[in-house]
Amino acid sequence: MVNELNLETIIEKIQTETGCDCEAYPNITNDETILIPADQLQMVMAVLRDQFGIYHLSTITAQERDIEADQSAIELIYHFFYLNQPGDGRGISLMVRLPLDKPNIASIISHLPGADFYEREVAEMFGVSFTGREATPKLLLPDEWEHGPPFISSEVSDE
Amino acid sequence: MNKISIPIGPHHPLLKEPLSMNIEITGEKVLGGSLRLGYVHRGIEKMATQRTYVQDVHLIERICGICSHIHTTTFCNAVETLLGIEVPPRGLYIRALMCELERVHSHLLWLGILAKHVGLDTVFMHAWHDRELVLDIMEGISGGRVSHAANQIGGVRFDISDKQAEMINVNLVKLKQQVSGVLDVIENEPALQARTQGVAPVSAELIKDYCVVGPVARASGVDVDMRRDDPWSPYDKLDVKVITRPEGDAWARTLIRVLETRESLRLCKILVEDMPDGPVSVWASRKVPEGEVVTRSEAPRGEVVYYVRSDGSDKPARLKVRTPTLPVLSLLPVQLSAIHVADIPVVLAGIDLCVACADR
Amino acid sequence: MIRSLFILFLFPGLGFQILCGLAFEWMDRKLLARFQRRVGPPWYQPLADLIKLFSKEDLLPESASGLFEMLLPLLSMSAVLTAGLYIPIAGFTSFSFEGDLIVIQFLMSVPTLAYYLAGIASVGIYSIIGGGRSILQYLSYEVPLLITISGPAVMAGSWSVAEISQAQATMGPFVIFQPLGLILAIIGLIGKLKRDPLDIPSASSEVVGGSLTEFSGTKLGFWYLVMDIQAVVGIFLLVNLYFGWSDFSLPLLGIGIFIFLCLLMVVILSGTSAIFARLRIDQLAGLGWKILVPLSLLQLGFVILMGV
Repeated sequence: MVNELNLETIIEKIQTETGCDCEAYPNITNDETILIPADQLQMVMAVLRDQFGIYHLSTITAQERDIEADQSAIELIYHFFYLNQPGDGRGISLMVRLPLDKPNIASIISHLPGADFYEREVAEMFGVSFTGREATPKLLLPDEWEHGPPFISSEVSDE
Repeated sequence: MNKISIPIGPHHPLLKEPLSMNIEITGEKVLGGSLRLGYVHRGIEKMATQRTYVQDVHLIERICGICSHIHTTTFCNAVETLLGIEVPPRGLYIRALMCELERVHSHLLWLGILAKHVGLDTVFMHAWHDRELVLDIMEGISGGRVSHAANQIGGVRFDISDKQAEMINVNLVKLKQQVSGVLDVIENEPALQARTQGVAPVSAELIKDYCVVGPVARASGVDVDMRRDDPWSPYDKLDVKVITRPEGDAWARTLIRVLETRESLRLCKILVEDMPDGPVSVWASRKVPEGEVVTRSEAPRGEVVYYVRSDGSDKPARLKVRTPTLPVLSLLPVQLSAIHVADIPVVLAGIDLCVACADR
Repeated sequence: MIRSLFILFLFPGLGFQILCGLAFEWMDRKLLARFQRRVGPPWYQPLADLIKLFSKEDLLPESASGLFEMLLPLLSMSAVLTAGLYIPIAGFTSFSFEGDLIVIQFLMSVPTLAYYLAGIASVGIYSIIGGGRSILQYLSYEVPLLITISGPAVMAGSWSVAEISQAQATMGPFVIFQPLGLILAIIGLIGKLKRDPLDIPSASSEVVGGSLTEFSGTKLGFWYLVMDIQAVVGIFLLVNLYFGWSDFSLPLLGIGIFIFLCLLMVVILSGTSAIFARLRIDQLAGLGWKILVPLSLLQLGFVILMGV
């Protein structure tokens, strides 16, 4: 276990262990964020858990965002919380970006059963499909919901 | 024996808020259960992006009735970070005071519900009678018993005069006396211990796998409390005692909340005594500069996480709320296997459900 | 003839029992409220509740048996009223024969069986579970109760309640010789009446209403009346078995003592209701067979030895 938790150390470790292309995303205050490719998610999570003892997933935030001029993507932020020692807690996040036309990502519930509810909510609200899980039943929306993901679909509005 | 499926909910005497569970039993043994949320889903996250930040403070207060103040506190903390403004110390102390009072209120309410489900109606009545004292204090300073509207972006809406501070002190002393009677009964009552000891034990590994937070996690020995571990002022100056128990059964979950109530009363007293002078809020602009922020707080039920993204206008581009009841509910089907039917109310009470929080 | 009609319908039959039942319900609710720092209902509340229930709509699930559900509370009511006829009220004996104690016990068990059948007849899941639990509970408290109340019978040398009651005029109240018996009998009565801490069949947080979940309107009103009258008959029985009746020179003194003892019983029942938490069904079974039965056998053995 590495005692001194430092964003550079983590990124270095991830790059050496998985060889994936990750970079720091500095814009989120209070949470040190690492932008990683979507297919490397499970490997990076394994590195965080085994090398640094980071296992507590607070939630998965999904949002639609304009990355470049006219290119939108669905962004998923996996918020983790790490307790260095009692009284010293830090937030660490992993950010992945999925294309709007094909938002697929591997599910992590086989490693972390607690992510089930968060994945289900992201799936029903944003239309993301999580591969590798039996079913993604609706969590909050009614079973007969026909209007498409509320956060993406233009059918759903305040009226 | 045949397998029968009992529906609990959406309407059931056990549940304060609608939730649908199907529990499979044979005889008096529970085999398992499945859960369906969404009966109180109002779409608050989407609504928040269509209202200004000022309107959102009032919207967010209505996510939950019992932990309303902590939600607005976390949201205001997030927006104030984005705005780059600092709330004056007196405002922060008042915010923390309302948070601790809300914790006491929530735990007393929970205590009454637990007692009612176990059959100790008398304790239920006494606990809710004492809860009235807390509500009186909150009404005295904010004007509302349950919906306080205490927070605004930049600070709090009201100040506490010397007379009100005296009233709070007097009521806190009275409350401490009355509440110790009820809490002593809970700690020492053999019938309650018989009903809760050894029921639905949860190991620390299971807690970590399901990412559970709050008193349920602390009852299994996981030492996490956002007041100590991710504090906002003045919690970093207060020495918050975090209480954990190793057993992980329903008795541990009961005892933890009882001890937390005592600790919160102690913190309330310190907050009123040490309150610094000065203004209670600063001016905040309507338009929030671009940025993203994550804030965490400790609600009565555990860790509350808010993610706010601003695009420079006066309405948030994204608001994400994760309330503590959600991971605890994901653990519920696991807890429901291998217990007696008569233990179902004890397990549900031990979780301290707040379905409105989970559904948003 | 006139005497029989008077006894059956006015005193101590239908009219008197209903009046006592309603009074008991009011006292119980008022005491419970005062224990819990509440105000409690006014004196006419049980009567008002009954009238309201009789005027409400009678709903039943489609597959439930309406005939059965109508018959069961009426059957229970006639059983407990009949049981009440054989118990002397303040020395006034209506009917009596050798062995009526056994008959009373049998008649007082009819409501339990009816409760179970009502659960089955209602078809709903909560009703079936509640009904099943009531039979399980019956198996736990009935045996120690039967053994315990044999004590006064053995001591008085008779199985007639009236004679047991009269015997105490010369021998002294039996409670002096069998205090444990009184305590065990009260516990048995709490189980029979399905009151807190033994209200497992109707634990609202688990099975909503137990057997009575689907009942409404007139039928439910009759059930509440049955429960009240059962309580009153049970109290009269215990007072007669353990305190008896002595013919004082002042008849009013005797009546006063009788009323005082009945009220004492009500206070004890309400008090235990307020103080204790509900037991789980397996805990009750353990309590019944591991503690109550041996104690009741001990008490009975003591009584037999004393007589020898």
